[in-house]
Amino acid sequence: MKVKLKENVLKDLTMAANFNRKVFKDHKTLVINVMSSPGAGKTTLLEETVKSLGNDYSIAVIEGDLATDRDAERMRSLGIKTVQINTVGGCHLDARMIAKTLPEFDFHDIDLLFIENIGNLVCPSGYDLGQDYKVVVLSVPEGNDKIPKYPVMFRRTDVTIINKIDLLPYLPFDIEEAKKDLASIHPKAEFKQLSALTGEGMDEWIQWIKDAYQKCIKP
Amino acid sequence: MHEMSLMSEIINLVSEDARLRAIQKVSKIEVIVGSLSNVLPEALEIAFFYFQKQGLELIDEETELHIIRETAQSKCKNCGFEFEPDYQIALCPKCEWTDCLLVKGETFKVESYEGSDGT
Repeated sequence: MKVKLKENVLKDLTMAANFNRKVFKDHKTLVINVMSSPGAGKTTLLEETVKSLGNDYSIAVIEGDLATDRDAERMRSLGIKTVQINTVGGCHLDARMIAKTLPEFDFHDIDLLFIENIGNLVCPSGYDLGQDYKVVVLSVPEGNDKIPKYPVMFRRTDVTIINKIDLLPYLPFDIEEAKKDLASIHPKAEFKQLSALTGEGMDEWIQWIKDAYQKCIKP
Repeated sequence: MHEMSLMSEIINLVSEDARLRAIQKVSKIEVIVGSLSNVLPEALEIAFFYFQKQGLELIDEETELHIIRETAQSKCKNCGFEFEPDYQIALCPKCEWTDCLLVKGETFKVESYEGSDGT
């Protein structure tokens, strides 16, 4: 007997993502899934983002790492409700892992939820977590050639942030080429450049989050 | 590289459906993998080999995994040209329009399976 199943392999995970999405929508919580390779500065970017927005918004964070809760401790030290997921070798977060953490949050009281994914430019791109936006952080020391080298990640991401622009005078990172490559892969992607360390360019990123939040609460 | 867990999703999908149809042995599974799905067909095969050795009820060493590779295809919204993109998924090589539609290449699905009720 031949059965024409024609079923998406990630069907169950898509259902979990839709479940998460409904929880987030019902509570008008804006959810941003932040991805990058290890060391691009996701946690530092989140720390600085939280410091800028923390007075006006109620923020929570889910930290994904293979091991340790070091990143979660960094966020908690800023007074942010943070849940750490350790994937113990797993290369990405998936919607089931996120769904399991939801009971730990009181979403009535959360405006913004940031999910810091596992440092990896390949696997996290394939997994819908139920977020409103996917953001990828690429840092100057990695080189602008990472955009054409990892097209699937940049194709599936709403915002590309170039981080550590304070290092531009010292390293051969070509911003114009990065923009051009991104346009050839995902022309509708937002392109931002900043340094989470020095604060340069952070205002534009913060404004983007505020605008996204307005859209989230008044669709 | 998470093809082991992806293979496990594939086997779960097939097993769930087979149980409903009282199928007891699966002889073949057909999977479509797009070139832009970030799934490695070779790694899926290795994972499948591992599951074959597990002595599962439905799947054994005689079960065949057939992977159909789907090449990427983009279509220019401006001039209608269809092409197999390199990394420049959205860039038309003919008219240089930069908002091309990716029509194929991201698929990752179980197309079909074959099985018997064991009688």
